[in-house]
Amino acid sequence: MLRSAKLRLVVGLAALCALASWPLVMSSPYDLRLFTLAGVFAILAIGYQFIFGYVGELSLSQGAFFGFSAYVTGILAAKAGLDFAETFLASIVACVLLAVLISIPVLRLASHYFALATLGVGQVLLLLAIDWQSLTGGAIGLSGVPLPKLFGVQIGRGWPLLLFVWSFVLFAAIVAHQTKRGLYGLACHVVRQNAVAARALAIDPDAIRFAMFLLSAAIAGVAGALHAHTIRIVSPEGLDFKVMIACLTMAVIGGRTHVWGAVAGALLVVHLPEWLRGFEQSYVIITSSVLILILILAPEGLAGFVDRILPVATPERTSTVAASSRPSNLPAGEGVLMPSETPILAIRHLTKTFGGVHALNNVSFSLMRGSITAVIGPNGSGKTTLVNCMTGIYRADAGEIVLGGNEITSMSSDEIAARGVGRTFQNLRLVEDMSVLDNVAVARFRSEEASLGKAMLTGRRDSRLERARSHALHVLRQFGLDKIADARCGSLPHGIKRLVEIARAICLDPVVLLLDEPAAGLNESEQAELAGHLEGLAARGLTLLVIEHNMEFLKSLATHMVCLDYGELIASGRPSAIYQDERVVEAYIGRRHAAELGA
Amino acid sequence: MRLVGRTVFAAALLLSWSASAEETSLTVPIIVPITGLLALEGTSQLNGANLAIAHAPPGLKIKAQTVDSGTAAEGGANALERAVGDKNVDFAVAPLFGTQVLAMLPVALENKMPILAPTGTGPVTEQGNPYMFRLYPHDAISKAAHIRYVVDELKLKRAAILYNTTGYGQSGFKYMSDYLSKLGGEVVFSEGVDLTAKEISATLAKLKAAKPDVILIQMHSASIAMVIKQLAAGGVQIPVVGNTTIAMPATAALLQPSDLKGVCAESAWWLEKGANPMTDRFLDDYTSKFGAMPDAYAIQQYDGLMMALTAVKSGARSAEDVRRYMSTSEYQGVAMSYKSDGKGNLAHSVVIVCYDGSSLTPKLVKRYDDVVAY
Repeated sequence: MLRSAKLRLVVGLAALCALASWPLVMSSPYDLRLFTLAGVFAILAIGYQFIFGYVGELSLSQGAFFGFSAYVTGILAAKAGLDFAETFLASIVACVLLAVLISIPVLRLASHYFALATLGVGQVLLLLAIDWQSLTGGAIGLSGVPLPKLFGVQIGRGWPLLLFVWSFVLFAAIVAHQTKRGLYGLACHVVRQNAVAARALAIDPDAIRFAMFLLSAAIAGVAGALHAHTIRIVSPEGLDFKVMIACLTMAVIGGRTHVWGAVAGALLVVHLPEWLRGFEQSYVIITSSVLILILILAPEGLAGFVDRILPVATPERTSTVAASSRPSNLPAGEGVLMPSETPILAIRHLTKTFGGVHALNNVSFSLMRGSITAVIGPNGSGKTTLVNCMTGIYRADAGEIVLGGNEITSMSSDEIAARGVGRTFQNLRLVEDMSVLDNVAVARFRSEEASLGKAMLTGRRDSRLERARSHALHVLRQFGLDKIADARCGSLPHGIKRLVEIARAICLDPVVLLLDEPAAGLNESEQAELAGHLEGLAARGLTLLVIEHNMEFLKSLATHMVCLDYGELIASGRPSAIYQDERVVEAYIGRRHAAELGA
Repeated sequence: MRLVGRTVFAAALLLSWSASAEETSLTVPIIVPITGLLALEGTSQLNGANLAIAHAPPGLKIKAQTVDSGTAAEGGANALERAVGDKNVDFAVAPLFGTQVLAMLPVALENKMPILAPTGTGPVTEQGNPYMFRLYPHDAISKAAHIRYVVDELKLKRAAILYNTTGYGQSGFKYMSDYLSKLGGEVVFSEGVDLTAKEISATLAKLKAAKPDVILIQMHSASIAMVIKQLAAGGVQIPVVGNTTIAMPATAALLQPSDLKGVCAESAWWLEKGANPMTDRFLDDYTSKFGAMPDAYAIQQYDGLMMALTAVKSGARSAEDVRRYMSTSEYQGVAMSYKSDGKGNLAHSVVIVCYDGSSLTPKLVKRYDDVVAY
């Protein structure tokens, strides 16, 4: 691993040297022009990574923002005669405002609907550019866009323009680095991999997607403005879908989340057709073949390919985080609290239907502070629907859920999580390619008040991330998981993953923890270990609600039990009483079999 | 014997050296769209340029350098920037796509490099760039002849205009609408059609409802062929006067003679076999080399490049010399006589041709020389 790290360093330095020396070696006006254009497209691709790479949304409007910005620059510079500072700022602001406008209807959509809606934006702008001839010059476009002029000094073609454009590449790279490296970047990663899990960690995926969409648009605005000044004309070709395809190609070929991948992708996509133009008509086929070959050899992009052959050496964060300093908000001492008679969470007349099916029908019960309440019932009885309603994934049709005296029924998942309702999932929702420590630390996102603005202002040390990791390490230590804190979650056995998911929920500092089949897939010793941990949590005052089929596991664990059948609460009480309840027995084994058993 | 041999060898060497010393070497970048939506027109342009190089005046050693400009706005400018790096380049063939030419203009001006483009798009010669030479009549010229024919000869004034939503289409639409209104006509229906549209029955229904007495078209090859086919299929009996692309052999080849019956078009060229040896040579060599009849882009590019090569043969030794020659000299090409109007517009003749429905070759019905804009 150490050798790999050294090699990465060498390769990285060599790549930087190659990048810096490229325009020195290939320094004809033509080469400088191409390198400048590659810089413009590198900015576009870096911007696209925010929405496409960091949060995984296939937006097809990046080309539209690029072209729109170019038009704003072209109109203001060529027609109104404004200076670069004014046109540049106006182009970025216009893109961000357009993104805000678009995001209102579009960000509600998911997957291919989102892609199609964003594609439509570009088509509308293209039609406007062609038809609004008095403003845009129609299909011919607007020529005469001047070279940028800053503080009275015109940036000349060749080297000055190249350095000017690449200084913005550096700026975009810094913005990307700041976004990615901290707690905010971890949250983005969780949003991309599993938005439901993100919400359960009090992270609002919509807010993050919105921020990334706007940031993408703003950076596309930078690229579009510089493109207009570089080629000195704006035309509908800048809004053509081909620009979007080129941007997508750069991001995919280079790597979706690596800044240098975007730069490499842009250099390749801009230069490759130019290098191959000597083949006349065949160059398009050759260019496409080369790009396809790269994708076959490196489906994760050039950056991912490098990661594969020279893996990133995971720093031993367990030794770097301030593990010795105990986070101030962890419960003090290890004393035992007995369950109180104060309801911390009350469910009243909760009803949820799907079409004509009553998944939950008038369900009411309460969770007492420090108690372990088990929810049992046969398959399809409404247990998971109950948890999903309690955590805001489903909105109940009737009834209310009250947490600590406040109604949370209509709140969003992340708000409910922020108010202290943690959960785990029947099917694990950990981020496989993140370390155990970071999977857990990201739960501190809301507590640390991480935001994009704060991420931008973070200095060399990210104190929020350090605190989050420190907190996470303490939680992991409680579960005996601190030794594997640096391991990737994907490499862990199922039973350990269950514990990590619980630890992640605990890292939220919840007042109520909902566990959906936590013992599923665990062997007996793992179940016993898990039960011990859960009892320990309850003893420290945490309220637990456990959905489980495994009666043996629940027998000694639960202090209270409710049973659901066909969405109705059929029994509630102490476990020993529930096990004897006829209706419960009937629900599990059927009326006839129950009668036979009784006989 | 050995001495005789050495003498002959030395004499041959000397002769070959003197012959090569008399040759002028130059590189001609041919920057044309040979991929994408304009590949058909771009290939014609390339063929015309290649034939001009084959027919170059003796004593010129020419290296042709074909570069695809594609359809991206910066495609032509990138290629020109590369071309000007070659010291042997004194001028360049530029694409027919007006937007690309507009993007090339700053590069041409900064490098003082003449560019020759067979484009009709108005603004390319309206930027005050002395290095721009237009080989095709300005839309203001070709559309003036187009509308004069419709109003003066056909006596039709209620026009429906169909045009592509490209620079070429919009530019033609603008001039046709303006001129028609100046000559007392009116546009009763107009619609921009996307270059990729394959079906326009709804547009034709609206067009018929507007009851025009003539249909004017300004479209690229594939689009105009599609429109003519659908007009014929729909039994629309309204006279059609289109732009030059419908007069092109490659476009006509997409249709049946009956589809074209009564269809007329403005064009910048009319070549007749037997008119003169220069035209015959061009037609014979073009058809034998490329297996097709030349179209306007091929002919205009041939003429324009021959004019520039004549400049070099006449002693132009730098890009500036070529510019001066192109700006001030008159050149008789196979299609017409070329002379700059001071803005780089070299072509000023327009013809009207019509199909009679029996063949895919139109017939000349009207010639307009030295046309001026309204």
